[in-house]
Parts: sequence; structure tokens; C-alpha cells
Amino acid sequence: MKKKILTTTLITLTSISFFTGCSKESSEKNIQNPKSTEITFMIPDWGVPPQSMLDDFQNESGIKVNIETVSWDDIRNKIAIAANGKKAAADVFEVDWSWVGEFNSANWLEPLNLTQEDINDIPSLSTFIVNGKTLAVPYANDFRIAYYNKELYENSNLKEPQTWNDVAKNMEILKEKNILKYPYTFPLNANEGTTTSFIWLTYLRDGKVFNNDNTINKENALKTLNFIDNMVKKELINPANLTMSAIDTYRELLSKDAAFMVGPTSFIARATDPNQSKVIGEIEVILPPGEDGKATQTMALTEAVGVSSLSENKEAAKKFVEWYTSKKTQRAFFKEISAIPTRTSVLNEVIDAGEIKNPGAMKEVALLVKSPFPNGVPSYYAEMSNIIYNAVNKMASGNITPEVAVEEIDSKIKDLLKK
Amino acid sequence: MKIKIKQNKIFPYYLILPSFFIMISTVLYPIVLTLFYSLEYYKLTKPYDRKFIGLQNYINIFKDSEFYLAIINSSIIIIVILILGVIFSFLIALILDKQNKLTNLLTAIAIIPWALPPVVNGLIWKFMFYPDFGLINKFLYYFNFVDNPVLWLNSRYSSLIILGIIITWRAVPFCCILLLANIKAIPEEIFEAAEIDGASTFQKIKNIMLPMLFPTFLIIITNLILIGINVFDEVVALIGFRKLGEPFMIYNYNQTFLFFNIGYGSAISYTITMLCGFLGFIYITYLSKRWKSYEK
Repeated sequence: MKKKILTTTLITLTSISFFTGCSKESSEKNIQNPKSTEITFMIPDWGVPPQSMLDDFQNESGIKVNIETVSWDDIRNKIAIAANGKKAAADVFEVDWSWVGEFNSANWLEPLNLTQEDINDIPSLSTFIVNGKTLAVPYANDFRIAYYNKELYENSNLKEPQTWNDVAKNMEILKEKNILKYPYTFPLNANEGTTTSFIWLTYLRDGKVFNNDNTINKENALKTLNFIDNMVKKELINPANLTMSAIDTYRELLSKDAAFMVGPTSFIARATDPNQSKVIGEIEVILPPGEDGKATQTMALTEAVGVSSLSENKEAAKKFVEWYTSKKTQRAFFKEISAIPTRTSVLNEVIDAGEIKNPGAMKEVALLVKSPFPNGVPSYYAEMSNIIYNAVNKMASGNITPEVAVEEIDSKIKDLLKK
Repeated sequence: MKIKIKQNKIFPYYLILPSFFIMISTVLYPIVLTLFYSLEYYKLTKPYDRKFIGLQNYINIFKDSEFYLAIINSSIIIIVILILGVIFSFLIALILDKQNKLTNLLTAIAIIPWALPPVVNGLIWKFMFYPDFGLINKFLYYFNFVDNPVLWLNSRYSSLIILGIIITWRAVPFCCILLLANIKAIPEEIFEAAEIDGASTFQKIKNIMLPMLFPTFLIIITNLILIGINVFDEVVALIGFRKLGEPFMIYNYNQTFLFFNIGYGSAISYTITMLCGFLGFIYITYLSKRWKSYEK
């Protein structure tokens, strides 16, 4: 019994000493860095800055950034669930372009202040400005740009397509000559990539996807649906695209299974990567076709960063966003993490320096970036996207006509507007 | 003595307290909370509009044509699973019951699908059914059964049947092992006596094995139905969130986690719970009658 009492006493004293020591260490740290602030940053792995850059930022600003690497698919839910509990999932987090409407509706984002110079330097920022408020700042660029296999075209005596009618005719010729079985590639599965493809195709052609009252522009939408339907019926698109992910449909260009596509800017680099591409030196990056000539606008599908309105460190978070999207940082990010700059000035620098192989019309297309949403991305975008990609998928499967598809899209969007 | 009796009466409650708290916090509380959510207009992206709306969510569900489509889709999957699951479980169990050098190996192989994560299972079969280079189309093309790739997943009904097949493939191992265990529990003497009386193999199976396996089949059927109702991962892997062939759980998931309609999504969950409860009640009642008949 005495031994037990003695042992317990010793353990207790040891524990007290240990925790006292820890407390002392914590106090010393606080004294050493009286102005130190910590913020959390939730971002997918592709947006994580190198530790050395974060250290430099901390040295300059006194702000320590704790990274929380989260998959893109999970971020939205984490933000929503935390906000429901009146908590910030992180002080700064990823804001995909498609989330900005609902995040704004829910008041989850803190408005940011940017200079007019910065606003002019980031064309894709238009997507993230709602009612005059800048809700997030794009950090990784991705806008729709056109690619075609110049070698296949030239061997078939074809020229660079100027309009979508040209594209359709070119694809038919390539098929008739048995050069490619499915020369055109376009996402058709029931997923987000199909919705964005429908939107950009309509936008490239006619410049108007949604009316000012946020309803779908039926006339332009029907033209797009008819175009897609014709391409499917003429077997110019691989039927596997109906169940293939969007990224895999784009890869058909790299595997020389397709001769033309409009796709993400990341394929500029992929097309020159021997590990990914069988068509090195064959792909030309061009201005996308339009209705009567080359397109005069294109849309961006950018990644951005925003500050949580529930953050307890908003000022520090804003400083971090400012740093994260600054010219200097974007230049470094391109080098370190291959993030394509969203700033036109930086993008031009890297192109002019020859750091992007085979950029083609990248500079010209970057200047055409605008938002297809006249009133900003709607809060019901998730529901609307589901409506659109399912309608396109059903049409491409032969279950409904383009006319029925557009009616379905129109009526359901109107229902969403009523809610 | 009185003190001891009192202590003995109280002591068991102390022992179950931890489990009780776990059940309260992880089962009962969520169920009750979900019920309250189902009576609200509660959309995460419109927190300021949250309000009590009574049974309006339930009314909206029964007005939604997509709800009925989802029910039908899930029902088709369940029917396929039941038909194939029961038949193949029994057949495989019979095969494994035959003792030979390969029995252990075959048993191990038969269990493999059970060990596969559902998503992996879905992806494997997705590649099998791929139009261009999928194994099935390659096989059909090689033997000249088809001239062009069959677009298996493009049709609603074919995709539902395929979903049923691939889920059955994952579910059969557990069911057949269960059947196998119970087959082996049947006394060999009964079969020997029947054989002496001139019973054929079919008669032995029909008149001896099947009646004695009846309780096991009930468990298997219940298990297969639950698997069919809860199918999710294979669907996402195979056809994503396509409306064409959308089962109930995907419909529920979309409303709750894709559209953040917590109130409506909760009501959907309760609706399926009540629907399953009602069907379960009928099923249990039927089983009770059958069980009494069986016991006689």
C-alpha cells in the first residue's frame, strides 16, 4: 500500500513538472513572436505552395500558414458543414468558379479589395465578382482553347477551322477518308464536364448562353444541342464518351484518336509530354471557332482562393490571398507547381520567355476570357449543372431529341428560379 | 443479502451505460435530428431561409417524378440481384461442397469478390463493359457475334441489369459461404438414407437440402435486398450521377450532398426508411407464417 502511494505521488509530480515545462516553452514562444499570427489554408494538392515560399512569406509578414491539403471533391462539403456550425473550415480556402454563386448566397466569403490594375490584369476575375464584390481571386488558369491535329489536317488537305461548320465538315471528311473513326471529341457523360462543355460551346458560337433574367437562351442552346446531336448521329464522336470522364475524352486528342477539340489549357503542356502524348509536334493551339468566324469570347474554369467570412483572422487571411495571387508569386508558382498564371502580365512573361512549349494562340485567347453568366454564377449552379448534363447525356444516348432536351433544360431552370 | 441483491440489480445498468451512450449519440440522436430536418426548409447555401414547413418536403417528394423513377430503378436492381444472387449462391455452394483437391483453392477464389471495395468492383466491371477495349466486347467481336461495339451502359435498362450483375458478383461470396456452412451442417446420414430409398440427386436437393436451408435462404434474401437498396459506389463508378438509371440512394445523395437540400434530403431518407419498414413488416409477417408452417 505504501509503495502504491509513493508510486502515484511520483507519477503525479512528474506529470506536473512535464506540463509546467511545456507551458513555459509555449510562453517563451509567444514572447519571442509577439506579432505572430497563424491562419489555415485549405487547398487541393495542386495548389500547395512550396514550404520555402511559405517560410519566406512568414518572415515578411509574420503570418504562419498551416496547410490543410484536401481533395477538391471534399472541400465544398467541408466548407458547407463547417459553416453550418458557424465555423470556418479554414481561414483561406479553394473557391472553384462553380461554387462562387452558392458561397455568395450563403455569405460564406469575405469580400476582397483589389486595385483596378489587378482587376484588369486578371480577366477571369469577372466570374468571381458578384454585385460589385470580389469574392475570390483566381490563382490557377484554365480557359477553353482549341486544339487540332495539324498533321492530320494537312494530310487531308484541310485548313485550320474558322467556324463550327468548318469543324463539322472537317470531321466528316476525316471520317470518310478512314483516317479516324471518331475524329471529334466532346464530353457526353452525365457529369460536370458535359455541362461546362455545353456552356462553352454555346458561348463560343453565339456569345450568349443565359438571358439577363438568368433563363437559358433557348435559341442558342438549341443550336448547340443540334450541333452535338448531329455529331453523334454521324458517328463523329466516340460513343464511349457517354460514359467516359471529360478528361479522358480530351486525351483522345493525345492518343491520336481525335483530330479536334476545345479543351483545357493544361493540354498545351500535355500535348508536348512524351509520357502522355503520341502526337508531339502535331498539335496546333488556336483561337476557338465561332459562329461566323473565330470566337470573340471564351470562358474560364479557374481555381481561386477566398477568405472565409467566419474567419477570426480575416486581415491576415487577406494578406495571404494578396501574396498568393501576386505577380511575383504567380511567376514562382508557374515554375514550382506548374500553375498557369491567371494574371495576363505574368502569362505573357512566361510565354515570351519560351517557358511554355507550343503556346500557339494562348495569349490571344487569354484576352477573350469573359463570364457567360450575366449576373454571376447562380447559387443553384449545382442543380442547373445536373439538369444540363443529364439532358445532354439523354439526348446523346438517343433517348430524347434536341428540342425535348432544350425544353427540359429551360423548364427546369425556370423552376429553380422560382425557388 | 438485501444489499447484494440491490447491487446486482443496478450493476448491469452500469455495464451497459457506455454502449447506451454510444447508441444514443451515434444512432438515436442522428435519427431524431434527421426527422426534425425533414420537417424544415433547410438548404445549407440559404441558411437565412431555414424554417419549419411541416410535411411539405414529403409532399414534394411524392410530386417528384424522379422519385418514382429512382424507386423503379432500385427495384429493378434488387430483382436482378435476388434472382441471380440466390441461384448462383446456391450453385456455387453446391460446387464447393464437393470435396476434391481444388476445393480450398476454389473457396478462396470465390471469396475474392467479397473482399473487393465496392468502388474497385465498379471500376473493374466498367472496364469490362467498355465499348472499345472492354473484355466483353472484345470477346463478342473476336467470335463474330457483333460487328460493332455494344454500348452496354448507354441504355437505362441494360445499365440497371449490369449494375445488378456486378453487385451480385460482390454479394454472392458471402451468401454462398453461408449456404455452404449450412449444407455441411446437414447430417450425411439423411442423404444416405434417402439414397438407399432410391432418391435421385435432384430429389435429395429438393426434398432434403432446400427445406433444411430455408432459414438460410431467408437470411440471404434479406442480405441481398439490403445490398440492393444501399447500392451506391458501383453506381458512381459505373455511370456516375446520370439520371438515366439513377437508383434511390444516388437520388438521395444528390439532394443532400450535391444540392445541399438538407431538409428535402432528410425527408427522402425517412421516406425510404418508412417504405422499407412497411415492406419489411410484410416480409416479416410472411416469414412468421412460413416459419410456423416450417416448424410443423
